[in-house]
Amino acid sequence: MSERLFGAMTPETFDARQPAFFRFRQLPMAPDKVVLSNLEGRWLVLDRPDFLAFAQGQVSEGTPLFQKLRERNFLRAYYDVPAATEMVRARHEFVGAGPNLHILVLTLRCNTTCVYCHASRANMDQVDTDMTVEIAEKSVDFILQSTNPAVTIEFQGGEPLVRFDLLQHVVRYANERNEAIGKEIDFTLVTNLSLMDEEKLDWLIENRVQICTSVDGPQDVHDKQRKLPKASAHGEAVKWIGRINERYEELGLDQTLYHVEALVTTTRPILDRWKELVDLYVDLGCRALFLRPLDPFGFADKTKRLIEYPRADYVTYYRNAVDYMIELNKGGVEILERYAAIFLTKILSGVDPNFLDIRQPSGAGIGQLAYSYDGKIFTCDEGRMLHEMGDDTFEIGHVMTSKYRDVVGHEAVRAVVIASQLDGQPDCVHCPYQPYCGIPPVHSHRIQGTLLGRMRESSLCAVHKGIQDYLFEKLASGDEETLRVLEKWTTIRPRDHFVQ
Amino acid sequence: MSEPLEATPHAFVRADREDGSVSFVVDESVYPLEAIYGATFTFLDRCFVFLGREGEGQVRVVLSAKKLPIADDELRGWVGELANELLACAWRGRILEQNRATIEAVTSQAIGGAMGPPSLDELEDFDFSEEPFEDPLGIAMSWEEKYGKKDKSQGGETEGT
Ligand code: SF4
Ligand code: SF4
Repeated sequence: MSERLFGAMTPETFDARQPAFFRFRQLPMAPDKVVLSNLEGRWLVLDRPDFLAFAQGQVSEGTPLFQKLRERNFLRAYYDVPAATEMVRARHEFVGAGPNLHILVLTLRCNTTCVYCHASRANMDQVDTDMTVEIAEKSVDFILQSTNPAVTIEFQGGEPLVRFDLLQHVVRYANERNEAIGKEIDFTLVTNLSLMDEEKLDWLIENRVQICTSVDGPQDVHDKQRKLPKASAHGEAVKWIGRINERYEELGLDQTLYHVEALVTTTRPILDRWKELVDLYVDLGCRALFLRPLDPFGFADKTKRLIEYPRADYVTYYRNAVDYMIELNKGGVEILERYAAIFLTKILSGVDPNFLDIRQPSGAGIGQLAYSYDGKIFTCDEGRMLHEMGDDTFEIGHVMTSKYRDVVGHEAVRAVVIASQLDGQPDCVHCPYQPYCGIPPVHSHRIQGTLLGRMRESSLCAVHKGIQDYLFEKLASGDEETLRVLEKWTTIRPRDHFVQ
Repeated sequence: MSEPLEATPHAFVRADREDGSVSFVVDESVYPLEAIYGATFTFLDRCFVFLGREGEGQVRVVLSAKKLPIADDELRGWVGELANELLACAWRGRILEQNRATIEAVTSQAIGGAMGPPSLDELEDFDFSEEPFEDPLGIAMSWEEKYGKKDKSQGGETEGT
């Protein structure tokens, strides 16, 4: 039956100009342009009259537009099913891979106090929030059961350097245990750098532990919201970023892979100071800048009156900063924006860089797991953050008692997997950015009280839509130099765990 | 005393400031009962939720403050959000039904891939000795067992008797 149906749909027997399935959106900042994408994520940006002709099935055969529509699989009569299937498959390659990212909270203690602390840090004397050696070892045993042949253990806190001894033990124990198992294993340390010293750095480099930190802007902004007693948090971070990058260089390590990855948590005071922010990152020798908006977890929820902002303001800040970064790149400076690189990789190369928070299904439970200091296991780090705020929705086991298959097959994981598929989401089913997008259900749960979320009111959807509107505007601009810069951003791949 | 709430449709919405509650009439021919359950459930952490029959095909939803006093703004926020969530649930239900096959396929691949096959230890723990479940309708029987000719030698009934 279906063969006869497809057989009937040839250009001879069917109006060749009729559109195949597509989604579209008029670009708000360039209203004469319309973005369209199809099921498998091929896309076009058309001028309005061309779009109307396409939608009404009136593009004449033999015209360049007709040819373009045919090549990109937008015409029903020429719809290439095998090619579309292959592309959908390529975009979802990660789906059955199993958890790669494993976040280990060594302690909640931290020597810094940040206004937005998503981790709900504890004071330095609260040693009861330290992970025990037994729980750390059990966590590693658990991690090594992952079906994923590659795992990354990411040390988080609090400030993980408070328990550097435990971090060392975990690295040694994991490597030792892994000898018989043979997984590809990476380590990442997320730190504020203020407890770093030369000895620790030597050890981390020798053991190939990647280092990731945060710099929230110029000194006055950073120090105002990240308070380090008796010292400048900014000064410490900047000093050590420079020193670590210098050491990587001295050792002859590949600078595109080995450099400190620094993130910005965007707060209200930095919105107008995007140029200073970009310049600072360039001066620090960073090749990437991740302009992340505030998350609604941890202390950020309590301090939002001071640091939050409408997402429309964030989008303006993002556009200004990335415009400036593109201009810097044209002048030979290498700096990319991480959000843009993630989306552009999906848009331009048709593969998914497997960034766990912007994929569908989202990575929670099936791509990442978080292990709290007390051995509790969560679908993701944000789930663990919510637990610290009194919400246990995302708690799925304990390293001392739970079996691996029960944890990843937990009903909360299944619910999150279903809820994060945008094929079931009003708005997303009609949005041309659906093939490239992803919303972690933990975010919707936090802000809207439902795993499924209402995208029209979601602050994260507003961010993703705003960024993709901007990127498609750039792609449609026809400016060769800009296109070269954007294409280059898709080829510079971080090791996955750098950016989580 | 129940009275209209400013900036909400008076035909549907009533507020009782003394009780700290707001109520909302939902038409079941517009919103299926599943959507009413789904939408109101998202309010459990913020307020007490009461559902009741208002009239033929109509459900009254009452959202009542857990603590008093409560500002009109908050009541208005609840009712507005409930209306939006009702629409989202109703429409999402239809979309999920239409795209069910894709979503199920991706979900089983994702969960199956992450779980992997059971280990020998897990298989060892499995109790094969007991009957897995009662099967009064013979669902787990083979076709032959259920409908096939009975062996006469076993003294079973024969056709035509
Ligand atoms: S955000 Fe990190 S550095 Fe800041 S207080 Fe929290 S745990 Fe400490
Ligand atoms: S989350 Fe928002 S931007 Fe992403 S696909 Fe859905 S509607 Fe589009």
